[in-house]
Amino acid sequence: MKQNTFYFLAGILGLAEVGFFWISVLFRNPAIIVVTFILGILLIYSAKRTISDRREDERSALITQKAGARTLEVFFVLFFAISLGSLVMGFATPLGIPPPPKPFPRVPHDEPNLGYFGLLQMLLLCGMVFLYIAFRVYYARKYGEWDEDEE
Amino acid sequence: MHENMENGTKMKNKIKVFRAMNNLTQDALAQEMGVARQTILAIEKGKYDPSLDLAFKIARRFGVNINDVFTYDES
Repeated sequence: MKQNTFYFLAGILGLAEVGFFWISVLFRNPAIIVVTFILGILLIYSAKRTISDRREDERSALITQKAGARTLEVFFVLFFAISLGSLVMGFATPLGIPPPPKPFPRVPHDEPNLGYFGLLQMLLLCGMVFLYIAFRVYYARKYGEWDEDEE
Repeated sequence: MHENMENGTKMKNKIKVFRAMNNLTQDALAQEMGVARQTILAIEKGKYDPSLDLAFKIARRFGVNINDVFTYDES
């Protein structure tokens, strides 16, 4: 498989996962998105192994490693701080998290609003993706990814 | 080895000189070493210090000792 075909497949899979998410919401069944997400990741990893024109060497591995490590450092602090805040909310109110605003009523009414915490986690994870990209760009630049030679 | 750059010490190299002597392009050397051309360019420019394995392979390709291609400068 060519690298561009892999990116195309990843894009299609990403869109499919969004679809599965909404199907999961419609059927009120979290297992659908959990299982399809794990299957999607497995598919991505197996497809990645079949890429024929990938050029990965020790420098690109170092860039990936450094960007990953720095992202984890920052993410750990953010995630810990926000989790601590969530814990405070948990101890401060009977249901842990306040009910949602009017346009989004809860059904059924006696379920706790754990969705808020999931939303917060998703925002953090999305933030982590952008953080990782930023660190990757930084280290790629540092290790001469876009340097031009007179050759 | 790359940590050396952050500690204020640097490896210097003469890959460009040896390439010219052997009439070898960056791309050709990169392909022989199994790395990207950008990696050879980054090493030549001193932005990336290669692993010992790659350094030995490069020196062996030019038929010289590793000390002839790479030098350690602590200044």
